[in-house]
Amino acid sequence: MMSASMPFTEHLTGSSGDEPVQEVALAVRGVNFYYGSHHALHDISLDFPARCVTAMIGPSGCGKSTLLRIFNKMYDLYPGQRATGEVMFDGRNILDDSISLDMLRARIGMVFQKPTPFPMSIYENIAFGVRLHEKLSRTAMDERVQDVLTRVALWNEVRDRLHAPATGLSGGQQQRLCIARSIATRPEVLLLDEPTSALDPISTARIEELLDELKEEFTIVVVTHNMQQAARCADQVAFFYLGRLVEMDTADRIFTNPRQKQTQDYITGRFG
Amino acid sequence: MNNVESTSFMMARDCWRPSRKAMWRRLCNNCATGASVAAGSVLLLVLVSILWTLLRRGLEGLSWATLTHTMGPPGSGGGLANAIIGSLIQTGLALLMAAPVGLMCGIYLSEYGRKGNYFASGVRFVADVLMSAPSILIGLFIYQLLVVPMGHFSGFAGALALAVLALPLIVRTTEDMLRLVPTAMREAGAALGAARWRVIIFLCLRSARKGVLTGILLALARMGGETAPLLFTSLGNQTMSTAMNRPMASLPIAIYQYAGASYEDWVQLAWTGALLVTFGVLLINITVRLSSRH
Amino acid sequence: MRMTPVTRSSHHRVGFDTIFHGLLWVCAVLVLASLGGLILLMATGGWQAFTAFGLDFFTRTSWNPVKDIYGVLAPLLGTVVSTIIAMLIAVPMAFGTAFWLVYIASSRFASIVGTTIQLLAAVPSIIFGMWGFQTIVPFIARDVQPFLNHHFRHTPILGPILSGPPVGTGLVTAGIILAMMIAPFITAVMVDVFGAVPPMLRESAYGLGATRWEMMRKIVVPWSRNGMIGAIVLGMGRALGETMAVTFIIGNVTSVGWSLFAPRSTVASLIALQFPESPAGSLRLSSLMALGFILMVLSCVSLVLARLLRGKRS
Repeated sequence: MMSASMPFTEHLTGSSGDEPVQEVALAVRGVNFYYGSHHALHDISLDFPARCVTAMIGPSGCGKSTLLRIFNKMYDLYPGQRATGEVMFDGRNILDDSISLDMLRARIGMVFQKPTPFPMSIYENIAFGVRLHEKLSRTAMDERVQDVLTRVALWNEVRDRLHAPATGLSGGQQQRLCIARSIATRPEVLLLDEPTSALDPISTARIEELLDELKEEFTIVVVTHNMQQAARCADQVAFFYLGRLVEMDTADRIFTNPRQKQTQDYITGRFG
Repeated sequence: MNNVESTSFMMARDCWRPSRKAMWRRLCNNCATGASVAAGSVLLLVLVSILWTLLRRGLEGLSWATLTHTMGPPGSGGGLANAIIGSLIQTGLALLMAAPVGLMCGIYLSEYGRKGNYFASGVRFVADVLMSAPSILIGLFIYQLLVVPMGHFSGFAGALALAVLALPLIVRTTEDMLRLVPTAMREAGAALGAARWRVIIFLCLRSARKGVLTGILLALARMGGETAPLLFTSLGNQTMSTAMNRPMASLPIAIYQYAGASYEDWVQLAWTGALLVTFGVLLINITVRLSSRH
Repeated sequence: MRMTPVTRSSHHRVGFDTIFHGLLWVCAVLVLASLGGLILLMATGGWQAFTAFGLDFFTRTSWNPVKDIYGVLAPLLGTVVSTIIAMLIAVPMAFGTAFWLVYIASSRFASIVGTTIQLLAAVPSIIFGMWGFQTIVPFIARDVQPFLNHHFRHTPILGPILSGPPVGTGLVTAGIILAMMIAPFITAVMVDVFGAVPPMLRESAYGLGATRWEMMRKIVVPWSRNGMIGAIVLGMGRALGETMAVTFIIGNVTSVGWSLFAPRSTVASLIALQFPESPAGSLRLSSLMALGFILMVLSCVSLVLARLLRGKRS
């Protein structure tokens, strides 16, 4: 139902044949990032396969969040921050100045560390993003809201108070609302910056389940501090250290048999 | 496969092309951005225009004679010396009255007037009311309080009016600055066995001294340019007088009296006086703001 | 042995602490007394006028020193209308400037521009008056008024409002000058209010593809609505009581009429101008005091309003 209106998922259903040729959603090539004169990311190159969960792990300050914020050019808000290199998305280099930010961000959604409900009702929180990009009838909007709230398993909890302020929800509910808000604009990629670090274990578990379901349709990139979380939900894991990509592999291999010593040290808790 | 890829390519082109709605949104954004930059630029332009007008009209009258001669009848080559001296005396005296009282009231509000103290929240509110009270009313107040009972205008009344004007400013900045001092500092002082007044004066006030001084200097700048409270209190004086119980000249009053005059040299003096007052006030402001930034 | 001196000295300290506390308290009372005295003396000073004229004092449009009959309607209307004009100009300007400073300009540039604009707020009000008289008044008289008079003189409704004697002084001129005086102040408060919006909230809005203006309109404005209104009301309080600048450019005629371009007077300018001609104890002086009392009430009301709106921030 959802994919019918989403050209991007439509043509892909055919390609999931026997051969495990992964389609690449985001291709990062030689990316460097600077906070003013501080060189924060060094020559990063990696691929993010479509409709997979890729986790980025590493100690604080290793650059994983920085990389995430490059993908929807959030750094563009702050003068003095700049990125060089290439991030190919849908045939274009998004680091190009010619890329329009609003279009890019409609297609690459982001969820933040802390839940950030807007100061409006639950319904309006979701409608806000949709209205920016589409003109929907009332019923279509109602359907969209119900659809995304159902997907994040929030519908049953909030169906009676859709027009109550979103700030009245619990932390876990707020975060699921934020995810709903992001997928309501029907992006192709969903970026999550430590989405569970401010939540309790039960809410965390629900968000993790959610990621598992959402990856059917979205390419998911999640930054996390929590190694168990990466092991539980990620298909691929990239390990960063001091602004460099140390290694990237399937989650199984990273956690059972890493190639690099630094990775092993980090995973076994010897630093970080 | 080939077919699929070409479809995806087509779709890709489509997705990157901004829709009509997106174009419209971008247009709105650009208009709003342009309008707000324009609004800010107008304010900057006004400041530049004021300074330019002051320099153009005031500079030609600025001479040693203007600073040393007292005011006089038109054509007599009078200056502004008595007005400058009068302004300095009145603002100085006002500061001497307002600063200690304001400082102590600010200390009271910050150190003894935290949550639940209704008296303190009342004082805080009153300080706010006083701060936003039209300055001309402060003049009327002191007129009723001092000038009417004494039977004559006086420099002291002018100073008192300026003090009432400055008082709430000093109170609120002192309180705000003291509140920025971490509680841990007070506790650390108390843990060493220091009495409360010692902690307040030697620890809190000391570490907040820069901000407090800033507040006092800004109050000084505010007093220096005020005209309305002096109209009914110190009145103004054409001759040099330093007696506090007599009418006293001041720069703003002199400007006010001369600006509307029909004598060329008086109008010139008004502009020169305006130049002096404005640059004095702005100089204090700039100094304070530059030093508080680092 | 060692306990004794410590106890004694702390006894001494408690004593001094009490004195210190008392001293501070007295200073706090002095602040209370200033406002109390101000309101009380204004009320008693105006009592004579209030009792002499009764309710007529508020409805009479004439201010006639010759017949010794005074009504506050003319200056009160002047104050209200010039303040409204000032707000109509100042609020959009302050909003735009704050938007520029907080969300568009780079932080270094914003701090330079912000400080410069704050200098405008520090310029003494009498200087604004002289500047307005020197630059804005001739501009209105030479360029704006002839144009309006020519095009609108015979238009119904708009005609009487927009035309007037081409002297340049009047409510619109006063409103413009007042706007320039209070806009920096409102800007400063709005910058604080906008700056308090959590950065994450802004980033979330951008993350959904919102443009800067959409983020401002849909997120920042609802979030900071109360703070913004508080800033506006505080600015309004300032415009209401402004004296020196207005005295130069309002024209000072106590009359009532439709034209926004005819010379009028305001409460504060009337007090400043008529005071020197009003001998102590006269009904005229008492009427001025009564005007002062009314102005004080207006100023208090606007402050309380601003307070209430600010306190309600979610």
